[in-house]
Amino acid sequence: MTDFSIAEWRIERRREARPAARFIGLGAALAGAIIVCGMLFLAAGAEPLKAFASLAKGSFGSLRATGETLVKATPLIFTGLAACVAFRARIWNIGAEGQVFAGAMFAYWAQHNLGEFPALVQIPVVVMGGIAGGGLYAALAGLLKTRFSVDEVISTVMLNYIIVYVLSLLLLRGPWSEAGGFFEQTARVDRDATLPMLIAGTRLHMGFLLALAAAVLVHLILTRTPLGYEIRAAGSNLRALDVQGTNTRRLIIVVMLLSGALAGLAGVTEVYGVHYRLKAGAVAGYGYSGIIVAILGQLHPVGVVAAAILFGALLNGATLMQIETGVPSALIYAIQAILLLFFLAGWAMCNFRLRRTGRV
Amino acid sequence: MASQPRLSVRGLTKRFGALVANDDVSLNVEPGELHCLLGENGAGKSTLSSCLYGLYQPDHGEIQVDGQPVHLRSPADALRAGIGMVHQHFVLVPGFTVLENIAVGTGSGWRFDRAAAKARVLAICQAYGIELEPDRAVGDLSVGGQQWVEIVKVLYTGARLLILDEPTAVLTPDESRKLFAVIERLKADGISILLISHKMAEVMQSDRVSVLRRGRLVGTVRTADVTRDDLTTMMIGQRIAPASRSSDGGGVGGAVLSVRGLSKERQGRRVLDDISFEVAQGEIFGIAGVSGNGQDDLFECLCGLAAPDEGSFSVAGAEVRASSPADVAALGVGYVPSDRFRDGLVGDLSIEENLVLGQHWSARWRRGPFLDRNGLEKNGRDAIAGYSIAATGPDAICRRLSGGNAQKVILAREFGKADRLLLCNQPTRGLDVGAIGFVHRELLRKRDEGCAIVLASEELDDLFALCSRIGVFFRGRLLKVLDRDRTSHDEIGRLMAGQESVVAA
Repeated sequence: MTDFSIAEWRIERRREARPAARFIGLGAALAGAIIVCGMLFLAAGAEPLKAFASLAKGSFGSLRATGETLVKATPLIFTGLAACVAFRARIWNIGAEGQVFAGAMFAYWAQHNLGEFPALVQIPVVVMGGIAGGGLYAALAGLLKTRFSVDEVISTVMLNYIIVYVLSLLLLRGPWSEAGGFFEQTARVDRDATLPMLIAGTRLHMGFLLALAAAVLVHLILTRTPLGYEIRAAGSNLRALDVQGTNTRRLIIVVMLLSGALAGLAGVTEVYGVHYRLKAGAVAGYGYSGIIVAILGQLHPVGVVAAAILFGALLNGATLMQIETGVPSALIYAIQAILLLFFLAGWAMCNFRLRRTGRV
Repeated sequence: MASQPRLSVRGLTKRFGALVANDDVSLNVEPGELHCLLGENGAGKSTLSSCLYGLYQPDHGEIQVDGQPVHLRSPADALRAGIGMVHQHFVLVPGFTVLENIAVGTGSGWRFDRAAAKARVLAICQAYGIELEPDRAVGDLSVGGQQWVEIVKVLYTGARLLILDEPTAVLTPDESRKLFAVIERLKADGISILLISHKMAEVMQSDRVSVLRRGRLVGTVRTADVTRDDLTTMMIGQRIAPASRSSDGGGVGGAVLSVRGLSKERQGRRVLDDISFEVAQGEIFGIAGVSGNGQDDLFECLCGLAAPDEGSFSVAGAEVRASSPADVAALGVGYVPSDRFRDGLVGDLSIEENLVLGQHWSARWRRGPFLDRNGLEKNGRDAIAGYSIAATGPDAICRRLSGGNAQKVILAREFGKADRLLLCNQPTRGLDVGAIGFVHRELLRKRDEGCAIVLASEELDDLFALCSRIGVFFRGRLLKVLDRDRTSHDEIGRLMAGQESVVAA
């Protein structure tokens, strides 16, 4: 069982995690993460306090910086929610990465072939395109799982590779490559297809609001609807759901559709909200980071938004930190991993306790 | 100090968070004594035995074996102290032989002296009258045979105290008798047995009984000094009327369920072989048999989870062929599965949520696109009151419920669904006397409402108390259907063991 003992000490599962223990556990995790990160900064030859200060300044120090943090957080909210929905049902969709690509590509294909229309037409088309592309690509893995019992971990990872190379093919010599261009990217998209800016002086775009709306929607679905009921039930006991008359194969496909659709929207916000052209660099990496965001957010939509903003802040503040203190910005990825590890340890502390055994 | 108690427990307390599973429990087990541990589900029997076997460590209290204080941190410690346990769920390697299973992990060093081990196993078997072939693969043995392996395995380690956790739950009446004969010989040899059982007939064969209620020891009594009713009273704190033997119970109406030639193969084995029977409106049809003789497959076919290879069945005249559980449920059929936590409940959902499992899309439980929270909560409160479910509220998580309360949640849901037909597979398995009485009364009430009921149970008492007709399953075949009033425990017991010819003769 979960009990495990070393010498006179014993690790036991707590029957119920007390809120106070939770608070202390998470506080300790944060403190631990900060200390270890500080040591990393020291090793990189910077003063830790100064590095943290410039990290904070770079991420929230001004309106522009805050806006940029939220821009970076936007795709992570979508991919975090994508992982959240699937993982809640214990469906291990590791394919958000590929579904981001698929969403961006399907949106681009639809908008590209549509021709020139006002923004009121083009924006809904790209949004729907992202939902459809990501959703269908994920449903493919769902179909493989329900029809041929292919493990979704394997299939989604494989599909990630496939779509990256398909995009490369289309951009290199294919129909989408920019005429006369040298890079693997499309031409700039029509101005009327881009997501409108929200606040002057920042790059914050409508995608952020879409992401917040998606988080609210996912929360409502999970807690209030029959579908959410099935997702939570599937995460606990899929067989009982089956015995009691739910078509669990269909449920798996629906969950994959929903998860993929959310990931696909991350592709839309990056192409139509930030880069204004489709290229691998615009959409790569968010799918995998989304898994970490979802776990840090404890598979709860509100937690996902918070974790995504934290990650966005780190990514955004890293640049200023590098300029001011010389700490390489790539160290941010190490910080992300340290955060994850310390928080996982913190939750373990909440859910388990160490007890001295021996005769009392 | 001539006779030290074999086991002495002093003031043992074990807490899980706020729950006190064992509260200041003290008891002695003498050498050569059959000591029974009795209590309702959740009374703390399993926790106590887990403490004795080193799986849990008590928060307070002391355990002594033969007068020596012992400190049990693991089952290995317990075995060293001479305490062995046979669990309800066996831990055997199916591909290994009996001998290998028994000797595994007991040797010292690298060498395994097969001949010596075999001689010792045979000696143990002979001493206590156990029939085992050391060289057979454990996977080929019956469930009863596997239990013998578990028992010999414990004796092989030199245990002087044997903890048996509901050992007869998987045995035929005949095998149970044999077990008690072996227990007698173990006692004569000075080996003590701590028996956990819900079956009063077995409890009455013990030397002394310790009764637990809500974690506390109510008392230890000499079995010869008390009656069954006394023990029941100690266990639940009040006298309950024994479940009445049903008065009428012959079918009142036409056939609700008719099964024709149902057959099914699984892994090359015929698990259902040409099963045919009918159940009338207002009738309880009993199915007797040792578990694993096709009952589970029958129920999976009838509830729509699995498709039979041949044959068909109809519910209230409607033919059911390749169907899903949802289709069958729509005909007014309720299904109480044998493994309640695997098939019947979603552990992480609350009581109120589990009560609508399978009906969660129904307009009855929805307001627009959302689940009707108030409706669910009210339904949950009604079920908790109506079925006297012990829980903190309708939002209590089902994983934490005891077996009896979990079963009540399932009954509340399935009884509500069963307008025409109720399928019950082992509804009283592992329940205490109070909960069994409750299940009996509810089944009779449902029958009187005109529902047709199929009831499979390993407890012949269940079947004789409730059913008008009893069919006996053996190796996938329905050997015989007997009229309750014209048969006996013995006849059914023989059929359960497959002795068809004896009866036919």
